[in-house]
Amino acid sequence: MRDTSRLAAADLLALASLGLRMRRLRAALSALGISIGVAAIVGVLGITQSSQSDLLAQIDRLGTNLLTVQNGRQFNGGEAKLPTAARLMIGHIPAVEHVSATALLTGAVYRSDLVPSYETGGIGVRATDVALLDTLNGRVLHGTFLNAAMANYPATVLGFGAARYLGIDRLDEPTRIWIGRRWFTVVGILEPLPLAPEIDQSALIGWPIAQSALAFDGFPTRIYVWAATDQVGAVDAILGATANPENPEQVAVSRPSDALAARLAVQSSSTTLIIGLGAIALLVGGVGIANVMFVSVLERRSEIGLRRALGATRPQIAAQFLAESLLLSTIGGIIGVAAGTIATAGYATLQGWTILIPPTGWAALIAAIAIGAVAGLYPALRAARLAPTDALRST
Amino acid sequence: MSKAVIELRDVVRRYPGDPPVESLREVTLRVEPGELLAVMGPSGSGKTTLLHIAGTLDRPSSGSVRIDGVDTSSMNDGQLSGFRATRLGFVFQQFYLIEGMTVLDNVAAGLLYRGVDGRQRRRQAAVALERVGLGHRLVHRPAQLSGGERQRTAIARAVVGRPKVVLADEPTGNLDSASGIAIVELLRDLHRDGTTVIVITHSPVVAGAMDRRVELMDGRVERDTGGPSHA
Repeated sequence: MRDTSRLAAADLLALASLGLRMRRLRAALSALGISIGVAAIVGVLGITQSSQSDLLAQIDRLGTNLLTVQNGRQFNGGEAKLPTAARLMIGHIPAVEHVSATALLTGAVYRSDLVPSYETGGIGVRATDVALLDTLNGRVLHGTFLNAAMANYPATVLGFGAARYLGIDRLDEPTRIWIGRRWFTVVGILEPLPLAPEIDQSALIGWPIAQSALAFDGFPTRIYVWAATDQVGAVDAILGATANPENPEQVAVSRPSDALAARLAVQSSSTTLIIGLGAIALLVGGVGIANVMFVSVLERRSEIGLRRALGATRPQIAAQFLAESLLLSTIGGIIGVAAGTIATAGYATLQGWTILIPPTGWAALIAAIAIGAVAGLYPALRAARLAPTDALRST
Repeated sequence: MSKAVIELRDVVRRYPGDPPVESLREVTLRVEPGELLAVMGPSGSGKTTLLHIAGTLDRPSSGSVRIDGVDTSSMNDGQLSGFRATRLGFVFQQFYLIEGMTVLDNVAAGLLYRGVDGRQRRRQAAVALERVGLGHRLVHRPAQLSGGERQRTAIARAVVGRPKVVLADEPTGNLDSASGIAIVELLRDLHRDGTTVIVITHSPVVAGAMDRRVELMDGRVERDTGGPSHA
C-alpha cells in the first residue's frame, strides 16, 4: 500500500533528542537523579568487589593450608598445655607436610633492663622449634631464623609487630633485648604473618634455651600444622584426637584463613544497605523522568497535533516520547556508570587494589534504561491517545 | 463525470453532551481536482470542523467522506495517518512551527512520516522554501522570522510533499493585511500549479480572491457559488 506512514529509526533518535535539546537544563536535572542512583550502585559494587578481590588474592597467596591446634584457653588468657608428644603424633599424619610446636612463656620482653617492668607492650615470649618458619610459610625480613645450634643460646627472632614496638628496624649492629631477666641477641626479624598474628607480636626463642634459662616445662601450647592442599579437611578432622588422645574434646583446631574469609561476608552485608539506597535513588530518578515527560507532553500538545496532521500515526507519536524518556535515562545511566567507575578507580588506586568493575554494575545501567521505559510509557501513551483535533485546538 | 478530490455526503458531526451539539448538520460538498475554494462563515458555524473532517483529522458522526475517490470511513487510524502523510497538506492560523529546529528542518518535517531519507527531505525542503520566497532563510530559527515569513514556512511544509489537497485554516488570521495578501498570492500560485486548495477564512478579501465560495451557517451550507466545473 502506498499511503502508509513510515518513520526511520535514525529519524526517531533525532526526534527523541529534539525535546531534550529544547529544554537542556530540565533534561540534565531529570537525568541527574538516575545518574546518582547508578553511580552509587556501581561505585559501591566496584569498591566492594575490588577490596574483596584484594582479600581473596591475599587468602590465595597465604593459602588455606594452615591449621592451628590449641588445648582450649585458660582463664587468665594464657594458652593451656598440650601433651609433649602431640607434635610428634601430628607429624605422623601422612597429609601433614610441616608441623611446628610453640609455647607461650610467662616472661616479658623489654628493650633494655632499664625499662620499667610494667611496660611489656603486649609482646609475648614464645619458645619454638626451628621448623616454625617453614610451617607458617613465612619469610625473614632481616637476619636469619633460629637454627638447631642457635636454639641452645640466648638468641631471639622478633615478629614484625614486636620489632616495630621495640623500635628495632635493622640489625646492622649487634642488638640485644631483655627477656626474663636475661639478655638475648636479636638474630632476625620476620615479615608480617597475617595468618599468625600472635607470632607477629612475639619474641621467639629456641626450645632448649627456654628450658634451661627460663624454667620452661617443655609442654607446647600451640601447634601449627601445614596440611597438603586437598587434605586440609581430613587433617582438620583427626587433629584433635591425634594431639590429645585422652581429651580430644579439649583441643581447639582452627583455620586462620577462615577469619579473613569471614571479613568477606561482613563486607557484603554492609554493601547491601548502600545498594538498596542506590536503588531507591534510581526509583526516585524514574519518578522524576515520568514527571518531566508528563510536563513535556502537556507543553507540546500543538506539536503532537501538527505531527498527526503531517501523517504521524499514534504508535509513532508514542515512540517519539518513549524514545525521549529512554534517551534521558540512558544518558543518566551512562553518566552514572562513568562516575561510579571513576570513584572505584580512584579509591582502589588509593588503596593499592586492582580495579574491578563487577558485571552487576552494568545491571544498574540496564535497570536505569528499564526505569526510563516504564517512566516514559504512560506519558507516551497519553500523547498518542490525544485526538488530533483536541491537540490542535489548544493555542 | 470526473473523480472528486473531496466528497462529503450528508456529513453530521455531533458532540456528546446535554444537549448534544451538532457542529455539522448534513453537509454535502464536492470539490473537484484543482479547485480554489473558500469556506466562510461566522464563528461557530462549523468551518474548522469541516476542515478537520475533510482532512481526516476527525471522523463524521454519520455520513460519508471520500477523498481522492477513497472512502475513508472504513480506514483505521494508521491508514488515515498514511493518507494525510502522502495526499494532504495543512496550514494553520498559529503556524505550528517547532522552535527547536531551523526553518529548513521544519519544512523537511513535512516529509518525515513518509520515510524519505534526511538528505532528500532537506533538498526538497530547500526547493519548497525557494518557491515561497524564503530561500535566504534556511538556517534561521522560527523565532527570527516575521509572521508572514512563518506562515510562508508553514505553507512550504504543507506543500513539500506535493499533496493533492492543501487545507488552510485561517492562514491570514494572525497576519497584517500586506502579509495576508502575500499568503493569498502564494495559495493562488499553488492552485495554478494544479493543487486543490481549500481555505477557511472569515476575511471577505481572502474569500474574494478564491474561485469558489462556500458559506456555512449553523453547520449547514448556506450558499455555494459553485466551482468552474459547475458553471
